[in-house]
Amino acid sequence: MNLSRKLTGKRPVSAPAASLLILSLITAVLASGCSTQPGSASDSTDRRGGELVYLDAELSSNTQLQSSGTWQDSAYIQNITDRLIYRDPETLELKPWIAEEWTVSDDGLTYTFLIREGASFSNGQVLDASAVQRNLEWQANGDSAKGIPANNWFPKVSAVTADDAARTVTVQLTTPHAPFLNVLSFWRTSLVADETINAPIEAQSQLTGIIGSGPFTVESEKYGEEIVLTRREGYAWAPPGLENQGEAYLDRITIIPVTEDSVRLGSLRAGEADLIRYVQPSEEQTLTAAGLEVISARGVGNANVWDLRQSAPFLDDIRVRQALQHGINREQIISDLYTENWNAATSILTPGSLGYKDESEKLAFDPEKSGQLLDDAGWTGRDADGFRTRDGEQLHILTYVDVFDSTSKPLFQLIQWQLKQLGVNLEIKETDYANYSTVLADPAVGARRNGWPEADPIRLTVNYSSDHLNAFNLQQPDPVLDALLAEQLTAADTTARTEILGRIQDHIIESAYALPILDDSQIFALQPTLHGLTFGAEARPSFYETWTETK
Amino acid sequence: MSNPSGTGVTAVIAARIGQSLLVIALTYVFVYFILFALPGDPIGSRINNPLNPIPEEQAAAITAYYNLDRNALEQFWISVTRLFQGDLGFSLATGRPVADLISQGLGETVALAAVALVLALALSLVIAAAAVLAPWKMVRRLAGAFPVLSLSTPSFLAGLLLLQVFAYQLGWFSSIRDEGAKSLLLPAVTLAFGVSAPITQVLIRGLRKAYNEPFITVLRAKGVPEGRIFTGHVLRNASIPALTLFGLTVGELLAGSVIAEAVFNRSGLGFMTEQAVRAQDGPVVQAVVMLVAVVFTTINLLTDLLYPAIDPRMARQRNNRRSAIRPVTNSPSTPRPSTAPEALAR
Repeated sequence: MNLSRKLTGKRPVSAPAASLLILSLITAVLASGCSTQPGSASDSTDRRGGELVYLDAELSSNTQLQSSGTWQDSAYIQNITDRLIYRDPETLELKPWIAEEWTVSDDGLTYTFLIREGASFSNGQVLDASAVQRNLEWQANGDSAKGIPANNWFPKVSAVTADDAARTVTVQLTTPHAPFLNVLSFWRTSLVADETINAPIEAQSQLTGIIGSGPFTVESEKYGEEIVLTRREGYAWAPPGLENQGEAYLDRITIIPVTEDSVRLGSLRAGEADLIRYVQPSEEQTLTAAGLEVISARGVGNANVWDLRQSAPFLDDIRVRQALQHGINREQIISDLYTENWNAATSILTPGSLGYKDESEKLAFDPEKSGQLLDDAGWTGRDADGFRTRDGEQLHILTYVDVFDSTSKPLFQLIQWQLKQLGVNLEIKETDYANYSTVLADPAVGARRNGWPEADPIRLTVNYSSDHLNAFNLQQPDPVLDALLAEQLTAADTTARTEILGRIQDHIIESAYALPILDDSQIFALQPTLHGLTFGAEARPSFYETWTETK
Repeated sequence: MSNPSGTGVTAVIAARIGQSLLVIALTYVFVYFILFALPGDPIGSRINNPLNPIPEEQAAAITAYYNLDRNALEQFWISVTRLFQGDLGFSLATGRPVADLISQGLGETVALAAVALVLALALSLVIAAAAVLAPWKMVRRLAGAFPVLSLSTPSFLAGLLLLQVFAYQLGWFSSIRDEGAKSLLLPAVTLAFGVSAPITQVLIRGLRKAYNEPFITVLRAKGVPEGRIFTGHVLRNASIPALTLFGLTVGELLAGSVIAEAVFNRSGLGFMTEQAVRAQDGPVVQAVVMLVAVVFTTINLLTDLLYPAIDPRMARQRNNRRSAIRPVTNSPSTPRPSTAPEALAR
């Protein structure tokens, strides 16, 4: 199934309204396409039962909600917990879930949630207003005695109060925080039982220690071997918009981490598994030819970008940065290294994200312009290797291969080759996961890969504001950027926020602070007997409506 | 034991055990400070993770919780104190108790290594016997070349080939699930294939050498059957170097299990080690290294103590050496024969 191709040819798109909701379209086609295939049963009793064997490419490493959250851990958490608010992956609208409804005061400081009745955690604890209050306080403040930080996406909260009789929870903020409702739909803000909150961090770091109210519960985990999820009996509090309102269809899900690529592929092809995550682009064709389906899930959030760090030599010159911006041929990257399941980034945000603005014209590949910019910046000499020089210095930029993205090495090498055509020497070093953050502390590192599906563009502020991470390593704060990044958090409404986010993207790309490269894709391959696999807005798989023909 | 040479042996054994304990203790200190000196740790990368940046005051709380704000010596003291209380601590990367990880990994790997070792020994014996005893020159040559073949085949390749044939094509084994004892077979074959090479080579050389010894001719002349000559005399003579190698092989099995476990999706010690090293998960790395150190020194100790049982000349040498260093009056000039074969040999 080639979703992205189907998509691009579909729907007549009117520019601003559509905002190119690529992921939502994918999931829409996926959800409808898969469940309405000819010959497939539509009766829910036929869907019931069976086991899903899912081979993940990585191990569960740490499930503590506020402090960790690798891609795979967040995907498991998504299936065993519920959140206050449901974000429809199709329309990206916020919809009721555990919160039946909510109101926000005019000053943007008081949020009141009405908690639905009847939901409970898998240990029997009732999911009522008090439980929600406990969760929100825990998310907002962390638990420093246990080494648990606050949820970094959360606003400053002055008080959370619960009224169990009225089923309401009220959150009082100290300053308005526009991303708040989106954050409440994010996996990191999943609701957990008191038992989890009370447990030490070591217990919370394991999936078996996360007690949620979701459609699946963790039956067991054997470290490195398998995680078994089973259907939660009596689950009846799915987001109201979903077709399924009862228990999940699958009896159980066995998640086996298989880090060896060839074994994962071989086991799927041999029929030992129903679903695998992470397929090298070069394997996609082979799998399709073997009768398996290949699905690309792209979440909303930050695109895969290179943050240029101005502490590094030569990158404080905007002409050099702009030369890089136009010297990278994104189309060649897609055509040479990837497949139609991937696409070049068109901004620092992915299509579908709140406030996304198509900046592709400003990112056009134009080597002549790049050459001119570098000449203007004084990089007119050439050394023996063909690299540009100025006053005897070589135009040299250092980067490290991203350890979080397993397709990144060939990607980095192709960019290195492309920049060499401009006379720029991009040096690529490698390190391991444990040392990655240490080596990047070196201010001489010029470019760093960044970006991940996220619930809300709040990450732009967290990443780039000089009050926060200052990921561009700006030596002098950029007042325009800082002001925009602060404004987006307190924007009065979505329209205003969209406009600010557009200006943030314009400013970052025009200043060539960051080089957008790709939109993050998670590639799954599955047996044709598996149906109803959907993805949340942040591209994590949801197994709630998944069913299998093989019982 | 009441005889003087008996107390001598006990003293030697006690000294060897003391030596082994010292090696283990020094390894602990050494590994601790090496790990401490290395940059990077899972908590550090969690704090600096670009995907979830943690503000400074919150980072301080995490650091304090894990005692990472103390200096190296204080942390070392905490770790030693906990060790003596039988507490190996928690994995920094996964939050699991280190003892659980080690016991899970150890269980899986011991089973795998034991099967692999038996297979490797059997394989080595068969190949070495064929290389020396086979009546056909072709077979002797082929068998003689086998160690080179198994040495030069990367074990991940051998493993993947086995998977391809027996799991994907024939479907006899699951490539991903633990099917109990059955799941041991393919990885054990892979491991055995890899580690058998040096044993086979040494055995072949030993066998050839032993067959050239004059006493073989004597035995043949006495009419001792060939089978008994091989098992009772030749093999025994050839097995001392093989025993030394055996100790080394245990180490190789531990190292080789990293690859076999990765290919066959097993979560043994090799896998734990790989994960821990990848994440620089100090407590787990420390525990694994200590375990390996204990295994190694124990095996070394045992092989050292076993030599005299196989070849009594060694015991005599050792006693002679001892008496040379510390000439004691009551040490008899020739020790009593301690084993029946030795008595026979007289």
